[in-house]
Amino acid sequence: MSLLDVFGDGFARRALLEAVMVGGLCGAVGVHVLLRRLPFFTMALGHATFPGVVLAALAGISLFAGAAAFGAVVVVVVALLGARERVDDTSAVGVTLSGAFALGVLLLSAQAGFSRDLTAYLVGSIITVGPGDLVTTAVVGAVVLAVLAALHKELVLGAFDRGGLAALGYPVLALDVVLLLVIEATVVTSIPAVGTILAVALIVAPAATARLWTERLRATMALAAALGATSGVVGLLISLQWRVAAGATIVLVAAALFAVSLVVAPRHGLLARARTISAAPGPTPAG
Amino acid sequence: MNLFDPFTLPYMQRALLEVLVLGALAGAVGVLVVLRRLAFVGDALTHTVFPGIVIAHLLGRSVVAGALAFGVLTAVLLTVLGSHRRVGDDAALAILLTSFFSVGVVLISRTRGFTADLTVFLFGRVLAVDRADLAQTLAVAVVATLVLALLHKELVLRAFDPEAAAAMGYRTRALDLVLNLLIALVVVAAVEAVGTVLVIALIVVPAAAARLLTDRVAAMTAVACLLGAAGGWLGLAVSFEVSVDHDLRLAAGATIVVVLVGLFLVAAAVAPLRRRMAAR
Amino acid sequence: MEPDPVLVLRRATVAYEREPVVEGVDGEVSAGQSVALIGPNGAGKSTLIRAVLGLVPLTSGTIEVLGRPPQAARRQVAYVPQADTLDPEFPVSALQVVLMGRYPRVGWLRRPGGADRQAAQRALAEVGLAERASTRFGTLSGGQRQRVLLARAIAQEPRLLLLDEPFNGVDALSQDLLLAALGRLRAAGAAVVMATHDLGLAHLACDEVCLLNRHQIGFGPIGTTLTPELLRATYGGQALQLRGDGVIVARP
Repeated sequence: MSLLDVFGDGFARRALLEAVMVGGLCGAVGVHVLLRRLPFFTMALGHATFPGVVLAALAGISLFAGAAAFGAVVVVVVALLGARERVDDTSAVGVTLSGAFALGVLLLSAQAGFSRDLTAYLVGSIITVGPGDLVTTAVVGAVVLAVLAALHKELVLGAFDRGGLAALGYPVLALDVVLLLVIEATVVTSIPAVGTILAVALIVAPAATARLWTERLRATMALAAALGATSGVVGLLISLQWRVAAGATIVLVAAALFAVSLVVAPRHGLLARARTISAAPGPTPAG
Repeated sequence: MNLFDPFTLPYMQRALLEVLVLGALAGAVGVLVVLRRLAFVGDALTHTVFPGIVIAHLLGRSVVAGALAFGVLTAVLLTVLGSHRRVGDDAALAILLTSFFSVGVVLISRTRGFTADLTVFLFGRVLAVDRADLAQTLAVAVVATLVLALLHKELVLRAFDPEAAAAMGYRTRALDLVLNLLIALVVVAAVEAVGTVLVIALIVVPAAAARLLTDRVAAMTAVACLLGAAGGWLGLAVSFEVSVDHDLRLAAGATIVVVLVGLFLVAAAVAPLRRRMAAR
Repeated sequence: MEPDPVLVLRRATVAYEREPVVEGVDGEVSAGQSVALIGPNGAGKSTLIRAVLGLVPLTSGTIEVLGRPPQAARRQVAYVPQADTLDPEFPVSALQVVLMGRYPRVGWLRRPGGADRQAAQRALAEVGLAERASTRFGTLSGGQRQRVLLARAIAQEPRLLLLDEPFNGVDALSQDLLLAALGRLRAAGAAVVMATHDLGLAHLACDEVCLLNRHQIGFGPIGTTLTPELLRATYGGQALQLRGDGVIVARP
């Protein structure tokens, strides 16, 4: 059975479309996550949206809406906690992450069906993606990319020089919140594909890989999106062939691309650096 | 609600002893994690032991042994990675931990009972702790306490001023490896009780709360141990009483974490008052 | 009979990847002497200090501390970094910071004893902060923190003391106390090397100067080496002024 035959089935075709869209979106957003050094925060977001999902399931409303709403709350809580003296950002994120996640587990354990829903939430279940999910992903993706494009220069300046952005009269805090919400929307959208624990990988790895190949920001974003989509497709294919968890396989493909690039990338890779050091001319003799 | 009644039952007594020891141990190690802002590293360790657990389980070996092997491997890897800032430490760390975790998920997804097993590994089963588990936890606690006590001043110095530590001749990488191994040990000890996802709370939350309440490392350590143990006891008692009285099954591990975060919020509220009183 | 110098540098060069960061440093520092490392930002002063501490390897040339390579002499060498590189929220008191200087003496696995605490108290008194022993380090002023770090070095009882911009952002009182403490250290036989921008303080605190701008431009007694021409060569022709008795202005 050739790999392409697989895509005769409806579920596989939907999964493929989802993988491409989510991978591309995550790649683009991931560049901003790296610029502002937010991988830990992104991971925490994934964990912290959990109670929202559970509450939404209990209330019978869209899981996506529940996750998104709760995630927004978490963004605010982390910002407030981190602003207090004596609580550093990292610990604030750690406290919020674990507290919110435990809350979600508690809520979920109070009802039956604990294991199965939880697993799909944690590690994804891309082959059960329905047409509704596809539409949601497409819409969210379009909105996020539009926002990123519209605010590109402000977001980049804010990441690089917050003081400079403020000095120019921009509302720095509002822009920060916009970006955090963008990240949150991306994480929540990735949950059906790769689950909450692994979403951070699909966001961070393609972007980190792209940064090893190019220094220009827009090129990095395009390359990251392409790498993300590729990881999604290749990972999905492998997982269908070998019948293993799709989300995890996608992540492993993305990580493999990163690892390979870490070694072979022309300027920033390990091999290139080793060549540079050994080719260095000897020190000039003292005058 | 009676917070002592549940512990007349033998399995609850074992569970209590387990969480008291774990809570205190994680609190003590957590002080260094919080002072060095290593919460992410700690979280990474909880994810990277997962494939070790899965492999051990698939091979029919002790889950703790699998966790230990991968914990040590990760501690070494993290120490080596820590001194090569290339892509941005957090990015490399995130990729590392999710890759390891994914390997575990891939391996376990090929088996039946996928979802049930995953849940146990991720969230633990503190109420199913037996004498052997207790013995293991106690052994780890003894070793870790010994290491902490003997190396305390060096670990604090490295946390405060790594340059001076290096200038004085201390090998900061070796000290980092020791701390990473300590964290790995705590994670391994907690795996069966509260699972890998929630152990980061045991490590970070009591110490973060203690930091709000005191300005001295020694006091911070004592308070963290106390809070960690208290959270364990209260969490177990509450989850038991609620299950019995109100017929609402609350996962014990998760209840412990929620109690700990509650204690943290209390500390955060109390802290400004304490500072005002101290200033007078 | 001249005792062996505490610090000997012979054509010391440190390179990072391809670029030499500092090269061709050549000179000696004897017990009781004090050398100022002077040069603009990026001149390699901090790198040179780290090389003397054995924290970065030399690409060529040699550095000897008390006749041994830097890594072997660490117990006799004390380092005073800039205070603002340290976390102000860290829960340590001034005395505890000074006690850290005794750790190499105390050794692994043991706690500082009564003698160590007394040495720490004395060192704090030397810099005029005896009454602030139990104050949290981060709540002290910039100048006070710098003094605490010097006290930590004093408590180490070193033969060689390395300071990185010790007077940056430090109030006048703290400066005087730092200078006095440094003078006492030198009188007791320690050699001092300090990186500094402040030419006036270099005059007050040091008898020799090493002019650096990625390579060595001069190394010798202050009177003969801190001259307008050499300063111009070091700073690339920028205008600068000295406070104190004389005013030297080098214009482009």
